[in-house]
Amino acid sequence: MEIAQGILIGFQVAFQPINLLYCFLGVFIGTLVGVLPGLGPAAAIALLLPSTFALTPVASIIMLAGIYYGAMYGGSTTSILVNIPGEAASVVTCLDGHAMARQGRAGPALGIAAFGSFIAGTLSIVVLTLLAPLLVKVTLSFGPPEYFALMVLGITLVTYFTEGSMVKALMMALVGILLGTVGVDSISGRYRFTFGIQTLMDGVGLVPVIMGLFGISEVLLNLEHLASQRVIYAEPTGGLLPNREDWRRSAMPIARGSLLGFFLGILPGAGAIIASLVSYATEKRFSKHPEQFGQGAIEGVAGPEAANNAAAGGAFIPLLTLGIPANPVMAILLGALMIHGLQPGPLLMQRAPDLFWGTIASMYIGNAMLLVLNLPLIGIWTRLLRVPYALLFPFILLFCLIGSYSVSNNVGDGIVMWVFGVLGYLLKKFDYEAAPLILAMVIGPMMEEALRQSLILSAGSFATFVERPISAGFILAAAMLLVLPLFTRRSEVAKI
Amino acid sequence: MSKDLVSAFFWLAVAVYVSFEGFTKLKLGTLRQPGPGFFPFWGGLFLGAFALILLARSLKSRERLGSGAIPWPALIMVLGALLGYLLFLETLGFVIVTLLFLLALFCFAEIGWIKHLTWSVLATVIVYGVFKVWLKVPLPSGLFGI
Repeated sequence: MEIAQGILIGFQVAFQPINLLYCFLGVFIGTLVGVLPGLGPAAAIALLLPSTFALTPVASIIMLAGIYYGAMYGGSTTSILVNIPGEAASVVTCLDGHAMARQGRAGPALGIAAFGSFIAGTLSIVVLTLLAPLLVKVTLSFGPPEYFALMVLGITLVTYFTEGSMVKALMMALVGILLGTVGVDSISGRYRFTFGIQTLMDGVGLVPVIMGLFGISEVLLNLEHLASQRVIYAEPTGGLLPNREDWRRSAMPIARGSLLGFFLGILPGAGAIIASLVSYATEKRFSKHPEQFGQGAIEGVAGPEAANNAAAGGAFIPLLTLGIPANPVMAILLGALMIHGLQPGPLLMQRAPDLFWGTIASMYIGNAMLLVLNLPLIGIWTRLLRVPYALLFPFILLFCLIGSYSVSNNVGDGIVMWVFGVLGYLLKKFDYEAAPLILAMVIGPMMEEALRQSLILSAGSFATFVERPISAGFILAAAMLLVLPLFTRRSEVAKI
Repeated sequence: MSKDLVSAFFWLAVAVYVSFEGFTKLKLGTLRQPGPGFFPFWGGLFLGAFALILLARSLKSRERLGSGAIPWPALIMVLGALLGYLLFLETLGFVIVTLLFLLALFCFAEIGWIKHLTWSVLATVIVYGVFKVWLKVPLPSGLFGI
């Protein structure tokens, strides 16, 4: 009953014309960002965050969320037509999607990607709608020790799911945690690691860091291919609608992809990229004709595209129920909520039901908009893809500059972005991943507070983390994840 | 020297610095009342431990550090343009730095000087219109007042 009432409030909020407009803007910009290689949703949302300060919190979260799941739709278009992933979660879509395009079946490939995305996206929001209120009930009983243990598990999961070395991922997480300590210590009020620099007094800004790590460094890496970037297009010919045979082959992959994607999306660090890879591997294993994979098997498009959209829905679970971000995009949304004076976490549903339910309801609408919009607009996206990167990247950089400056009208934030752009470039060159750093940087301050509060409550005894059953469970799971890779080969998905 | 060895040394230095600061300047406090240095100290310690693991592993690897095909001129130019934009944004103003920035970076597109000029000017005008006029982002006008 509670859920029915909630969703009713949600749709009332989401159908307000102004919120509809921002939902539309969000999914439109999201698709654009997804289509353009070299600009991901994290950088785009960080970029647009300052321009949402003037909006109501609901409108701003609706729009930013729209960018995120909109990008999942857009990414497939570039993968299929150009064989370059428009977005990291569409990497595997290149394999069979582009193969289909070369056989003149770009239309059905784009079509099944859009329909699969819509079905999976909607299914995942249904589960989100049902599951989130239940989880809120459970998490309301969490005290500081449970939170601390959960965050330890979250960070461990992030490092577990990274593709490269787990040691390096753990190091990145620790660097992130340490970056989170820069600025005023919330308990003692002392400045830490500010080096007397004004900009660092409030801590290292999340927006400039994300723009540096995901926006600037991406451009720097792409400079290597500036001369050689001549892409081959496969024009979508004929209809976009998949035929009956296509549907028959895609039905199960979409169903499995939705399920896999949703649950992997909930786990911090797993998210859309891993979901699409796992789905591809699963479909290949389930298929009676695994040899067709890579040669244009429609299952290899339908499954992963469903999975990455479902993961986008799942990722909202930890944010809305626990206030813990599952990926860098959710980290910015968390920042956005806090800027609007809302504390994400189990109390969000009670304190801001219009925002909680409005955002969820807007996702149903946004997914429908994406389906209706996307297929007719494919012509525009392909034209956009013809703009050479050499003309595009100055604009990406310019928008990052304007975005970082306008967070607080401070050139210092721009400098922070620049530094993290260079750092991000070096991290890539030295085979480190940036995602654990971002998540840990956001979680870090919450983790420190939870740890210190726990210790104060327990009079200095670490035993509190293992004496309380829920926190003991989280710690045990984290410990297992840390030890497991020593005995088994981790992540088979990396071998695809 | 392998890549991992170089980066392990770097993070080890960071870890030592952070832990040292946490221990000496910020103070650890007690377990009952952890101080501001408590979290950085332990964070730095763990970072250092992992850096040592990476260092030990990298000693076995035979891979050599090479600069590969890094496009130095382009990289330096882009980073220079970004830094220049930020350093002169408040003195020269948004319009002028944006125009100079685009003029510099459109060089990579090799589109001929007429297009190069018109597009830079046109793009500056559009960006100005969108951000300053429409979205009302308070971008600095600089000493020429535009």
